[in-house]
Amino acid sequence: MNEPARAPVQAVEVSDVSKRFRLELNRPTSVKEAVLSFGRRDVRHLWALRDVSLTIEKGSFFGLVGHNGSGKSTLLRLMAGIHRPTSGRITARGRVSALLELGSGFHPELTGRENVFLNGAMLGLSRRQMASAMNDIIEFSGVGDQIDAPVKIYSSGMYMRLGFSVAVNVEPEILLVDEVIAVGDEEFQQRCLQHMERLRSGGTTIVLVSHDTALVRDLCDHVGWLDGGHLRSVGDPDEVVDAYLVHATEPT
Amino acid sequence: MAVNHTDPSARPLRLSPAARTGARLVRSFAERETKALYKRNLLGWLWSLLKPLTTVAVYSLVFGVIYRATAPPTANGQAEVFALYLFSGLVVWNVFSTIVNGSMRWMDGVSELRKKIYFPTETALVGGAAATLLQSSLEALVLVLIMAVLVNVSWTVVFLPVAMLLAALFALGLGFAAAIVNARYRDIQHLTTIVLSVGFFMVPIVYTPDIVPDRAYGLPVARIVELNPLNSVIAVARDAVYFLETPDVADLATAAAWAIGTFAVGLAFFRRRSMAISEEP
Repeated sequence: MNEPARAPVQAVEVSDVSKRFRLELNRPTSVKEAVLSFGRRDVRHLWALRDVSLTIEKGSFFGLVGHNGSGKSTLLRLMAGIHRPTSGRITARGRVSALLELGSGFHPELTGRENVFLNGAMLGLSRRQMASAMNDIIEFSGVGDQIDAPVKIYSSGMYMRLGFSVAVNVEPEILLVDEVIAVGDEEFQQRCLQHMERLRSGGTTIVLVSHDTALVRDLCDHVGWLDGGHLRSVGDPDEVVDAYLVHATEPT
Repeated sequence: MAVNHTDPSARPLRLSPAARTGARLVRSFAERETKALYKRNLLGWLWSLLKPLTTVAVYSLVFGVIYRATAPPTANGQAEVFALYLFSGLVVWNVFSTIVNGSMRWMDGVSELRKKIYFPTETALVGGAAATLLQSSLEALVLVLIMAVLVNVSWTVVFLPVAMLLAALFALGLGFAAAIVNARYRDIQHLTTIVLSVGFFMVPIVYTPDIVPDRAYGLPVARIVELNPLNSVIAVARDAVYFLETPDVADLATAAAWAIGTFAVGLAFFRRRSMAISEEP
């Protein structure tokens, strides 16, 4: 208790991170095929990220822009701990709640309620903590009675809304959002944005990947632009987004 | 707001946060597996007994009645029931084979999930194994109740759960490896079924160890059966419920060494490889 109260200023630190994926075309999927195709393997390596370094301040709203395949989602996955960097170091301080793609982290056979508990366990929360958050989660998601139905019967909108509802209601210290808000209807999008604002004012660090440059300009304090796995620039939202847009409309 | 998020270090701490997360996940996966088995009908638990009891009945008919195999007498000497001799070995075997087979299924069940959210994947397999143990304890209970009716019970019965736990650890070690390899080569699950059906007859379940010939077809058959790691686990279980003897220390030590060793190696392999599997497209 004698420790000085010094909160780490950097919520996420990415230093010299590279990520290489191994792609094997026509990879044998059975022992039989492996034996038959012995010696004929077509392995390729894809560098999704190359020497990326950036820091994200605690409590800030960080945006990531770039073309499809530029490495934005890979970077987010690394921050979430889903993948490990091939080289370099990535540190995320605090509880990370990630919302990647549609319905991230749901087990199709389980009911919505069971999935909420499962997600909570994955985030390190007790059943009691999740139970006390349950009403808020159900209410925010708007899935109603369907909470006790298996999520595989959910519509894509319900799936996404419940996913978002869990991600934001577990009081994350770091929230990673990958282009998911676009899926919901106008009203839900507005609620999501309001909720993210609320979390941010409560000290949550938010990292948002989006193609909606207007939204990024509007929300973010800092923006990073990824291009072919390299971090082209990072800094003031207007400057970075302008540079990205100039580049995007340029014939290459 | 929503979650009452207290600082974990402020709570009286018994487990590390990672261990507590792991334990919660194991519980979630075990519940899921148990529910999946018994959700569909109220008689689910009884149905789950039907399979092992049928196996006991069929093997007893073939080996006990048709081939006139005899079992050694039980502790109180009154019951020479081949079916019970068989059942006491089968309980342990069922734990083993269900977990080895299930591991690949439990891994598949969470592999999509693992691509979207980080969690220690091994918890899904441990959870499945825990559910299997729970289900098998019902079988064990039936066995012990039958023995009680025949007045053939003793405190040694406490070693039955020990044997089942060791069988589970041994099976999990193999299951970890099988799940990883099966994620890449899908026919491993079929291969496993074949290996298991051979394995069943390599352990003295439907026969007694003493009738195994030393050599047959140039193979040291007795030695093969004797060296089978499951042999000692089954011996422990039989001592516990059938012969009502304190299990042989050598059997216990061998079984524990195999179980813990295989579990540790399997887990280490699983942890090394499972990250790569979640990165596959």
